[in-house]
Amino acid sequence: MKGIKKILLGILVIVVVIQFIHPARNKSGQAMPNDISKIVAMPEDVQGILKKACYDCHSNNTEYPWYTNIQPMHWFMNYHIISGKEELNFNEFGTYTPRRQQSKLRSIENSLKDGTMPLSSYTLIQRNAILSEVEKSQIINWVQNSKDSLTKKYN
Amino acid sequence: MKTLIYSLAFSLLFLAACSNNGNKTQTAATSEATSTKAVVSENLEKGTSTAAILRSYLKLKNAFTIDNDKDAAAAGNEMVTAFASFDKKSLTPEQDKAYTDIYDDAKEHAEHIGANVGNIAHQREHFDMLSKDMYDLVKLLGTKQPLYVDHCPMYNNDKGAIWLSETKDIKNPYLGKAMPTCGTVKEELK
Repeated sequence: MKGIKKILLGILVIVVVIQFIHPARNKSGQAMPNDISKIVAMPEDVQGILKKACYDCHSNNTEYPWYTNIQPMHWFMNYHIISGKEELNFNEFGTYTPRRQQSKLRSIENSLKDGTMPLSSYTLIQRNAILSEVEKSQIINWVQNSKDSLTKKYN
Repeated sequence: MKTLIYSLAFSLLFLAACSNNGNKTQTAATSEATSTKAVVSENLEKGTSTAAILRSYLKLKNAFTIDNDKDAAAAGNEMVTAFASFDKKSLTPEQDKAYTDIYDDAKEHAEHIGANVGNIAHQREHFDMLSKDMYDLVKLLGTKQPLYVDHCPMYNNDKGAIWLSETKDIKNPYLGKAMPTCGTVKEELK
């Protein structure tokens, strides 16, 4: 019995201690010369959808939900941001080669259609990141227009 | 007091375990990098030949024709290695630019195929884009091995997709065993 108490207390101490660890936040106030909006036309409604459902992990600016102030949630979030940005960063889209820009656009369409994005583990808590069918088709339309405009631009 | 010491020791242990873990993955990553390098220098002569890249691509294609996601992943990883051993030095500046564009894209598709065992539909999406890259690569740098450009009209909601093959017979990598002979030869590359 005494042993269990000690272990529980130990866990409590760990939980308290890790609250003092604050990893660097994904926030950049800098101008974004390579942002996707500089490369292809970006209607406001599309921008709004991308912002609420995608940019937390796929841009240089994350809107941190309240629960990420509690560890280890911040670590989980950070892990998602790092892997998300590596895969696709809307703010760095202009640095991709023309071919890769096309592939990324197509992958956006595919992942929306397959329902793999936004991640279900993310929408579980971020309910407003769940996209309606209308919003999905808005993005898919925009992707198709963007692909066409890029094809014209580079060929 | 005793409890406090215990719990402190416990939390220190936890933190130490965390940082230790970080170190371990780092060493693992470095040793992996070195071993890949060693393999590259042993097995593949550095050269401007696209043979190694194409060989791994055809392996990948053949894995998809029999719906084998594991072999596809292995071939995808092999392709990443083949790309790494490709020497750009003898390319002209124009070729270099076109190659870099292809490489940047193709390498990522190969990586994704390698990382997605168990999700052959996703692997095939990347294979579609990768096949276009390979077509352009052969157009850019040529091939010693004659290749056929095949076209599948049904894949991707009837938008269609191409693939490269070493045989004239159609073996469809997009539909696999479900419709093995669907498709036509569009072009021959020599």
